[in-house]
Amino acid sequence: MQCGWSLLGPLQWIRYVNKQVKVKAGKDEEHRGWLLTVDPVSASLVLVNFLDQDVGGASVQVVMGHAVQEVQVLQEADQETTERLQSSFLPPRSRPLAPEQLHQRRAGVRRWLEQNRVPVQEDGEELLVAGALTITAPYGPEDCCSSNQIILDRVQRLIQSQPAEPPIHSTAPPNHSAALPADQPIQRLIQSHTAPPADQSERSSCD
Amino acid sequence: MLITGGNKRLNMATPVSVLRLPKGPDPNSRGFDPKSPRFIALCRTSIPTSAVSEADVEQLPKEQHARSVLRESFLRCLLSVTNKKVQFHMYERVKVEATFGASDIDVMNFQVSDLHTPIGVQKEALIRCQDVISFSFDA
Repeated sequence: MQCGWSLLGPLQWIRYVNKQVKVKAGKDEEHRGWLLTVDPVSASLVLVNFLDQDVGGASVQVVMGHAVQEVQVLQEADQETTERLQSSFLPPRSRPLAPEQLHQRRAGVRRWLEQNRVPVQEDGEELLVAGALTITAPYGPEDCCSSNQIILDRVQRLIQSQPAEPPIHSTAPPNHSAALPADQPIQRLIQSHTAPPADQSERSSCD
Repeated sequence: MLITGGNKRLNMATPVSVLRLPKGPDPNSRGFDPKSPRFIALCRTSIPTSAVSEADVEQLPKEQHARSVLRESFLRCLLSVTNKKVQFHMYERVKVEATFGASDIDVMNFQVSDLHTPIGVQKEALIRCQDVISFSFDA
């Protein structure tokens, strides 16, 4: 037996988001938690219960739409809980890069794409690829936007396989300087066998 | 096979050979009523999209926006469950634990690994969403 939950529609469902709800499902199951989202395809509810305040972490329950019997709102979330909810599943944002580094990164990605015979143009802060795909800062695979799935997939793979470039303006010790290019591949080889030094930590996020 | 006398708990971890459960009726052959409960339960490949009545033409952009916000949030949630241990609560008080693999686009089936069942551990399995009431995991 299905109640009308699945038939409500996105405009109704979104009104329940960020509220604490009590859901009756199946024969005798009851779940409580903060409603994070409702899947518009299956009407499934995603409920979050925060564990210990200091330790952090949360227990998440997903109740399938077809099994929902009743949904009751218990309370609204305050500002802090809402923020905590909305940021719980977002991908971790790497710290923002300085404009100079962004420019370098953009130039690096552009060079890599050109080396691979992919038509690319710089459009202000963005890269326009083949007239169908846009790459925004910080120019990683997740920053590609396109309505063409095939181009999106190809370009994402390409960017992901871009080899890490040696830092040009870095705070690294002098033996990393561009004056000794022949040493750099060897330096990289040595570094890859040991723990990466601090100046490489920015690069690791785009690999 | 190792026999550990008296230790029933260890038997739960015994891997089980692949079970192929009976498939539903072939939707393309004659004689099966697409409205019969058996057909609907076993052959549905997609949830039909909800129809929009003419009166809501103005609401359409708002509805589309709400729909995409909700769906994106749900997809990110699914992304975060991958490779985590989840507990499925199914009908007939069945509770099983597995490692979440993936869901299909219509949320009709879940692909899981290491499904712990009372008869042993299934290395890979497809769980039908119609059979699941809820599932839980720790973020």
